[in-house]
Amino acid sequence: MSLDYVKFSNGFEKFMPKEYRDMVEHGPFGKKVSVSQMGSFKEVLEEHPMCAGCAMTLFIRLAIIAFPNPEDTITVGTAGCGRLAISQAAIPFVYGNYGDQNGVASGLSRGLRLRFGDKPKDVVVMAGDGGTADIGFQQVLHSWFRRERFTTIMLDNEVYGNTGGQESGMTNRGAVLKMAPLGKKFEKMDMLQMAKVAGCAYVATVVPNNPRRVESVIKKAVLIAREVGSTYIQAYTSCNIEYAIPTDKVMEDAKTVENDRYQFTEYVSEEAKQYLTERYGYKEFLAKPAAPAAAIPGKA
Amino acid sequence: MYLVADISVEICAAKSCKLCTQYCPEANTIQYSDEMGKDRGFKYGSAYVAVDRCKGCAQCVWVCDNMAKNNAIKMIMIDQLPMAALTDNITYGEKSTTAVLASPVVG
Repeated sequence: MSLDYVKFSNGFEKFMPKEYRDMVEHGPFGKKVSVSQMGSFKEVLEEHPMCAGCAMTLFIRLAIIAFPNPEDTITVGTAGCGRLAISQAAIPFVYGNYGDQNGVASGLSRGLRLRFGDKPKDVVVMAGDGGTADIGFQQVLHSWFRRERFTTIMLDNEVYGNTGGQESGMTNRGAVLKMAPLGKKFEKMDMLQMAKVAGCAYVATVVPNNPRRVESVIKKAVLIAREVGSTYIQAYTSCNIEYAIPTDKVMEDAKTVENDRYQFTEYVSEEAKQYLTERYGYKEFLAKPAAPAAAIPGKA
Repeated sequence: MYLVADISVEICAAKSCKLCTQYCPEANTIQYSDEMGKDRGFKYGSAYVAVDRCKGCAQCVWVCDNMAKNNAIKMIMIDQLPMAALTDNITYGEKSTTAVLASPVVG
């Protein structure tokens, strides 16, 4: 949980594998990196067993690059595809029992604040739609009502992809899946509205076909969670296996879905806007200067 | 044998949009080298693929063809590639990487 843990122990440098040496010497720890520099520095994420062309993997890759302080971050996950990649990153990863990831993150976040005081230590939950909206629903919602200060990211592939294609609460109405052959009979859960009602300070939807937007959304969510309250990001990360999307068409599908039902939305509470502006110099929330009265059509 | 992505240095070094590096789902697979195009007289550097990490999904091909409209990436059987970059031969620098190309198929 500091830059110390990404250094070599004395005398061990020559025995470390190349990937580890690259990460210590050319990784993002202690530096500012952005998606525009991708391909030029050693990433925290390593090789992982997720399927070829998986959009969730791309999102996780972008998210990890976007963490403001990767050396001071802990990720929390639960059963599901995502943990196969998140656990292969050089960031401490806590694997909760199915559904208790937001409970674990609550304790972790509070414990880190007691131990490190004002020094920011970020806790980021990344779990699938099943872990967040179905099995972990109760703990997720309660952590939001308690205003626990950490970020919850839903990797929404709209299916239980890891167990053969059962419908989840986030599956769209009418979707026919291998283990839901009659089609889903209920609407997709509106987790965004629930997050707002439960008092999240920041709520956003994002699709990984816009890397810069993913980076910006993750940064804002993690920074707001440091002091203001719970933050929630819902990311569309298609399952190309269960929805039979050819791997070279995954980004085309992401674009189609973004235009259809996953348009970018962002809710930032007034307190969070003020915090980002004053503490981190964000300019996008500053009040725009009023236009001259003559320029407003219809006004004499 | 299996397919891996192959980036044409001639096309990439003329445009250098770097979109493929941002859209590959695998970490440190499509890398960028400032020297790879410049040493052959092109304006920019070029992206290249660490073929031992490529899973052959061809997402970069769609991005290069449809978003960047450069058509610089093709899927090629790995034994048809005479020389390619491998993770062990990639060196990281301050702002870019360098790769010593080698035959990807042993024996």
